Parts: sequence; structure tokens; C-alpha cells
Amino acid sequence: MTSRRFRRLAWKGIGFLFTAIAFLVIYTPIVVILALSVNSSVRGYSWDGFTLRWYSDLFVTDAMKAPIVNTVAVALFSTLIATVIGTLFAIGINALDKKRRVRMMVLNNVPVVNPDIVTGISLMIVFSLLSLTLGFGTVLIAHVFFSIPYVVLSVIPRLKKLDPNMYEAALDLGCSRFTGMWKVILPNIATGILAGALMAFTMSIDDFVITYFTSGSEYMNVSTWLYASISRSRGFTPAAYAYNAILFVIMIVIIVFVNTRKDKKEKEIIA
Amino acid sequence: MRRLRPYAIPYLAWMAIFILVPTIILVILAFSDLELYDPGPFAGTLANFSVFAAPLVLKSISNSLSLAAATTGVCFVIGYPVAYFLATLPEKTRHVLMSLLIVPLWSNMLLRIVAWEKVFTPDSFFTDLFGFSFDLLGTHAGILIGMVAMYLPFMVFPVFSVLEKLDRGLIEAAKDLGASDTQTFLRVVFPLSSGGVVSGFIMTMLPAMTSFVLPARIGLGRIPLIGNVIESKFMKEVLGSSGVSINEGALISLALMVIAVAAFVLVIRVDKEGETLI
Repeated sequence: MTSRRFRRLAWKGIGFLFTAIAFLVIYTPIVVILALSVNSSVRGYSWDGFTLRWYSDLFVTDAMKAPIVNTVAVALFSTLIATVIGTLFAIGINALDKKRRVRMMVLNNVPVVNPDIVTGISLMIVFSLLSLTLGFGTVLIAHVFFSIPYVVLSVIPRLKKLDPNMYEAALDLGCSRFTGMWKVILPNIATGILAGALMAFTMSIDDFVITYFTSGSEYMNVSTWLYASISRSRGFTPAAYAYNAILFVIMIVIIVFVNTRKDKKEKEIIA
Repeated sequence: MRRLRPYAIPYLAWMAIFILVPTIILVILAFSDLELYDPGPFAGTLANFSVFAAPLVLKSISNSLSLAAATTGVCFVIGYPVAYFLATLPEKTRHVLMSLLIVPLWSNMLLRIVAWEKVFTPDSFFTDLFGFSFDLLGTHAGILIGMVAMYLPFMVFPVFSVLEKLDRGLIEAAKDLGASDTQTFLRVVFPLSSGGVVSGFIMTMLPAMTSFVLPARIGLGRIPLIGNVIESKFMKEVLGSSGVSINEGALISLALMVIAVAAFVLVIRVDKEGETLI
């Protein structure tokens, strides 16, 4: 009996050890980025002392202005569009009979599983076929395209929990279709929509591969700008690290806010 | 809810435009010598297959396969115990730790790669700060570590989400019926988590196999992957330099698509609606 307890403890220890290793490996680049954002050295080859210069540079130098504006604009717009369209698609898919629903979900998950490079090339082909000029528009469409499946995947589980009779009842009691949707369905799937939007935003703001293939040579987001800078081996301003650190903090604040709000809501429901 | 069905119809059209059409074009390009911007009469050819005989392409295929297999293997060996350990923790701790696994994904991928470059450069700022560094630029080991760091969370998430929902009663039942801990794990817990494991394998293997910035930077360009070949075939075409075959690029992309579809069929078998994909 004691050997069994000992074995369990040993396994727990191994689990703890592996978790520690995982966190160490995953956080190493993050710590390096944060350190580089306060390192005086321009090229980052040595530690030249603490500075906040790159954070103020971020708002002064022009080099990163366009890439940052582009990244944020595409992320905000694509999140908004993908969340609205994706939610409507999810509502439609959920209303299908089981066989069709499964088929649609299979289709939905193709872009999720497909390697980014294949998605990027596919989109590039469609855009050149339609003779669209590569730039903001094509990047926006591309981001909407790869974000929608994540919104659908986040919203569907919520819809499944929703009693289908509620919507019918609302309509029977004289609600218009729009009011039925607005007052019955949407409030019940709101957490799923929010999770989907957050996912879409996360995917968009960090995207490199798909933007790279759909943006042409003029339009750049932060990732493609970084790639162009390091490929030409002239390096980039450490303000990029500062940008990343600021974004990082904003995202953490958002997630903490969303989580505490969720906790409160769940408590209210229980009470 | 029946009257809500029409909302799903435009999705079919949308998917047809962005998945079906480019796939057809890729097939046409792969089996012809047509240019992307020059639709001419289609004449089928298998000449593009000669690309698979080029030493560089062969080398990058073998690099891709071996690095992707190694990355997936390491991610599984580390990630499964991590997911299992996290799933056994009390709810609050569990959620905090899972969030902490997501947070690093919000750092720009390219900056994370640049960060590994610094760690793997001997005598960099990293040495100044921490007193040691590695000399792994241009090596398979360096790329492997970079990939594991990049894709490990994608192994942990799906496995964790399956283990978290696992009915504890089944474990109790197995024990009551006389199963040892090992038996309970091997015959109850692990089979029930296989859906998450398959998703995890695919979500780490495919990106690792097709990545191209990470091998280019950490491998110093000495260890080409299949993604690097595709990038050079397509982007140089677009940027207007001659002598690069977009048809060969299309063929390689198509081959990757076949692998993705095979992986996808596997996912569908264990998880029809893709609930473990996010």
C-alpha cells in the first residue's frame, strides 16, 4: 500500500517536473524579448544597461508607425467582421440536422488544420485570379477567412446547450425573427462569441505566414516588416521589443478582465 | 430553429471560393506548365514531378519529416504529462496555469524566433545577463528546441481539454473492479484521451513540418525545410525574378495538402466536430 502511495507521489513529482520544464522552454523567448526591450544595446549583442528609451522611441520614430497601424487596423476590423459573420454561420450550422451539421463542421475545420503556408498560397491564388491588388483589402479578407472557423468553433458548443424551443417560443409569442435572435439566442451564446472574438484577434495580431503571402510588397504588418528587416540583415529598432511588451501587457489585462467578469456572471447565475 | 438554417448557406459559397477554387488551380498548375498570370490552353504534363529528384528538395523533405517527427515526439512526451498533471490540479490553479500557457502565444512569432537566435548565439547579451548561452545556431538541435517551444502548447491544450472533461467515475469504477493504477491509465484514461492526442499530434506536426522562418533563422539557412522551398518557388515568382517554377511550388503545396487531408481524416475519425481543435 505504501509503495502504491509512493509511486503516485513519484508520478506527481514527474508531472510537476515536466510542467516546470514546459514553462521554462515556453517562457525563455518571452523573458529574452522583455529583456531586450529594456536593453540599451541597439543590435542586442551585449547587455549595455537598463533603458526605457525604446518605449518612448515607439511613439516617436516613424519606422514602425505604418506596420503597427496596419496590424492593429487589420486585427480590429477582421475580428469584428469574422465575429459577426462567424456567429451567424454558427447559428445556421447548429440549426442543421446532425448529418449536415457534421459535414459543415468538417468543412469549417479545413483551414484550421491546413498548414498556414498552404492557406496563404491558396488565398494568394484566388486574389490574383480575381486580379485584386494585394494590400490592405486582401490582407483583411485573408484574416477574416482564417478567423471565422475559430469563431464558429467557439460559438457552436454554446448553441448546443441552448434549448431550441426557446427561440420557437419567442417567435410564437410574437417576437420578430430579429428580436428573437437578439433577445433569446445572442445573450445565451455571448460568452462563446466573446471567446471567439478573442481568438480571432489573437490569431490576426500575430499572423505572419498568411499576411506574407497576401500582402504584396508594399503593405506590411509588424510581422512582415520584421521579416523584411531581418532578411536584409540590417536589423530592426529594439522598439519592436517594446511594442511586443506593451501588446503583451494589454492582452493580459484583457484576459484577466474577461475572466473576472465571467466568474462574477457565473456566481450571479448560481445565486 | 429550422428557419435559421439559411444562415449556413453563404458559408458554403465562401468555402467554395477560398478552398475549392484554389485547390483546383493548384492541381492545374501542378500538372501543367501554365503561369499563374497567363491562362493558356491546358496541356497536362508530369514534368513537374522531377522537382522531387532535386537534391535540395529531397534534403528539405527529409529535414522536414525528421524535424517534424522529433518535435511532435518531444512535445508528446513532455506535453502529455503536463496536461495530465494540470488536469489533476484544483480548478483555480488549473485555470491560472492554462492561461499562463496561452499568454506567450501573444508574443510575435518572429520576435520569439529572434529571441532564440540570441539564446543560441555564444557570447550574446544573454551571456552577459545569465552567465551562460548555447552554441546551437545552424544545428538540428537548435531548430528542434525552437520548434518545441513554439508548438508545445498546441499539444497540451487538446489533451488537457479531453482529460479535464474525463468522467472521474470511470477511474473509480476501474479501481473498484481491481485495476491497478497502470492498468487504469493504459486501458481507461489513455484510450479516452486519444482524441486529444490525435489533435495534438496534428496541431504540432503540420506547423513544424511547414515552418520556414524558424529553420531559416535558427538553422542559418543551412537546414532547409519544405516550407523554405515553397516560399522560394512562390515568392520569387511574385516578386518577378525568373527561373523559378511556380508549377513545382504548386506540386509541393499539393503534396502538403494531401498530408494535411490525411491528418484531417484521422481527426474526423476521433472527433467529428473538431471540439478538440481549440
